[in-house]
Amino acid sequence: MNKLFAICRETAWCPGCGNFGILNALSQALDGLGLEPKDVLFVSGIGQAGKTPHYIKGNVLNTLHGRTLPTATGAKIANSGLTVIAIGGDGDGYAEGGNHFIHALRRNIDITYLVHNNQVFGLTKGQASPSSDPGMMTGTTPWGVYNEPFNPLAAAISMNGSFVARSFAGDQEHLAKTIQAAVKHPGFALVDILQPCVTFNKINTYQWYRARVYDLNQDPDYDFTNRRQAWEKSWEWGERIPIGIFYRSERPTLCDQLPALKNGPLVRQPIPCPNIDQVLAQFR
Amino acid sequence: MNSFNILVGGEAGQGLVSISHMLIKAVAKQGWYLFAQQDYMSRIRGGHNFLRLRISETPVHCCERGVDLLVALDQQSLVEHQRELNRGAVVIGEAQLAAGTGQGDFISIDFAEIAVGQGQPKIMANAVAAGAVWAFLADDLTAIEDVIRETFAEKGEAIVKGNIKCAHAGFELIRGSGKELARLPKPQARGERMVLKGNDALPSGALAAGVKFMSAYPMTPSTGVTEFIAAYAKQCSVVMEQAEDEIAGVNMAIGAAYAGVRAMTATSGGGFALMTEALGLAGSAEIPIVVINAQRPGPSTGLPTRTEQGDLLFAVHGGSGDYPKAVLSPGDVEEAFYLMGAAFNLADKYHTPVIVLSDQHLADSYQTIEPLDPGKVVIDRGDLLFDAGPAYQRYQYTESGVSPRLVPGFGAGGLVVSAGDEHGQDGHLIEDAETRNEMMRKRMRKMDGIKAEALDPVAHGSSNPEYVLIGFGSTKGAVREAAGLLSQQGHPALAVHLPQVYPLPDKLREIWQLPGQKWIVENNYSGQLQKLIAMEFALVPDGSVRKYDGRPFFPQEIVEQVLKGGAGR
Repeated sequence: MNKLFAICRETAWCPGCGNFGILNALSQALDGLGLEPKDVLFVSGIGQAGKTPHYIKGNVLNTLHGRTLPTATGAKIANSGLTVIAIGGDGDGYAEGGNHFIHALRRNIDITYLVHNNQVFGLTKGQASPSSDPGMMTGTTPWGVYNEPFNPLAAAISMNGSFVARSFAGDQEHLAKTIQAAVKHPGFALVDILQPCVTFNKINTYQWYRARVYDLNQDPDYDFTNRRQAWEKSWEWGERIPIGIFYRSERPTLCDQLPALKNGPLVRQPIPCPNIDQVLAQFR
Repeated sequence: MNSFNILVGGEAGQGLVSISHMLIKAVAKQGWYLFAQQDYMSRIRGGHNFLRLRISETPVHCCERGVDLLVALDQQSLVEHQRELNRGAVVIGEAQLAAGTGQGDFISIDFAEIAVGQGQPKIMANAVAAGAVWAFLADDLTAIEDVIRETFAEKGEAIVKGNIKCAHAGFELIRGSGKELARLPKPQARGERMVLKGNDALPSGALAAGVKFMSAYPMTPSTGVTEFIAAYAKQCSVVMEQAEDEIAGVNMAIGAAYAGVRAMTATSGGGFALMTEALGLAGSAEIPIVVINAQRPGPSTGLPTRTEQGDLLFAVHGGSGDYPKAVLSPGDVEEAFYLMGAAFNLADKYHTPVIVLSDQHLADSYQTIEPLDPGKVVIDRGDLLFDAGPAYQRYQYTESGVSPRLVPGFGAGGLVVSAGDEHGQDGHLIEDAETRNEMMRKRMRKMDGIKAEALDPVAHGSSNPEYVLIGFGSTKGAVREAAGLLSQQGHPALAVHLPQVYPLPDKLREIWQLPGQKWIVENNYSGQLQKLIAMEFALVPDGSVRKYDGRPFFPQEIVEQVLKGGAGR
């Protein structure tokens, strides 16, 4: 297999960071799909996860904190021929960009969304994140986190997100396979990735996860088209933590529904609009 | 009399929009020139809304003070506007309103009752009113009939005939009253003209310029632009995606522009505030977007349906850090159409955000103009590549600061790496001082090019003025007419309109060399244009006229302030 998406630069990550596993799995997944870097666009926000696109070959749009999804949505609409992969952390996607997450689910825009969910703010050096476990002591929660953690899978399943999955940075094979399924899925594909933060999260460590995660798709009775079952499964957390594809459904993507895209990708269409005279005729 | 001023007032939901539409279209068809200003409240039903319609046989550029014909659909319209009635003015309205008229001749006309009397539904009271107004303007109803046919064609022949019947009933009632107003001369020739408002001209200009993507969150008074683009999504093969907030609106546009299409968003002050972080992203990542800010009075949500020019300095300075940008300020519907083309060209040539400042007055006011010519809209996409090899670097250092822009997904292996974080020529992140300095200078060099092609001021009036009145944006018409009035009163004056406020055109310095007092006229409290000119050119005017009550200027107000002298606050 050609390693077209090979890791190409020195990273700014801590040794042992969960991001390395994600980067390796991403590169493995894309090579396995036979894509070319020029046809792939990585859109990211701010945070250590947001730097990922700079370390892999492809087109890159590294945007603002939390604005990964709207930017990726605009790019996909403009050139629906691109494979668009949005990448961010839990702070980027579930805090700053929470509103965009809800609406990307509604739109079912055909992009893959990888969330490096380490349950802590890394780049700002160790504050609580929306997904931090209750009780976690951080710089901004010296008495421990008291808010209910955000459950991205339950939220996505509730909103009828068309592809909802979780994987683990410590299981490269599972993660690569999940990313491939997400990229191939026509519609908005969420992959929430359990990612140990070796510097700031002393609770959710590699060992902690390894003792708990299991692949729910190994269970022949699990039906990922059953929304109710998926929603119930999304609340399992503690002694056992499921990973895999929780929920899939088929519905039209945003691009399927835009009349202008019936004429091919916007970026390939001639300008200006040939019907401008008809537009102006109403003013006569 | 060289112009005739009609005011139609009523509650929201009383048919004002429909009457306004019929009259505006018919006046334009008749061959007169018009300027029509819409004044409405931030509510869905009730309140007091009105249309001010100025009609003339020669071009008019704004509304003027005074009313010749007041159409009162409710008591409030009489209360609010009675004192504006000119000598010999006529008021028409339902009989029970007569008691409220202090001055002006009153003609009782029960619009709804007449419609019902004609065997038509009450809603056709609108056609009765339009027909009644028309009796003061013309000898026949042809223009109104034409408009009714065009407007209701899709609703079927019965609706068309019913409306025409009602218009005739209104027309005949007024003729039968024997009341006459000083008529406007009949237009010489029925010129082929267009009548439209700013919120028609801006999106039409964008379509003529090849916009392919828009995303926006509705906010008065910009929403008309958004709905216009959405309405033509199919016909013009363009995408308008309603965003979940203004932040998403501008960031989606940035994503689309990065991917290679002309993209824009539109909002008003509060939404623009939410967009400023993304403007910096577009500046740093060098992504061309066009942002329309249809201003309304601030701060905060302010007066949602009214007008102000209070976002000028915000538009110029909004965003963290320094980055190149241009701010355009169309003054009328014609400029609004053509400047959208200029805005997209500037954005594409300099890979940076361009802001188009509109406001409620421009957005919602109708004007008659010579037909817009999309053939005059030149599309210049700048240094845009559809092919590049693996050595391609998005932020290559160049003398002009403009680095050739590759469309991602095209070409032989060239990759487009863009970032808002500081980056090197290849687009990857850097933190060293040397690259930072080089990249900052590269970006800011683009300002030289933007400055060199800044749009010249537009001047009308005396070449040896006693007063030079300077404004930007939607004050253009009122400033021009104020200069005309001053000149008529023996004070030669020159009106100077700035279609671009940032960077300011060097020609403004030359204008400052002209004789006469320099006055800055602007719709804001603190004199933002005055401050900008002082900051950029170290020039200080002799006086200023400011207005911040949410209403546009009448030319007479400007004249009074100037002749009184001193700061007009």
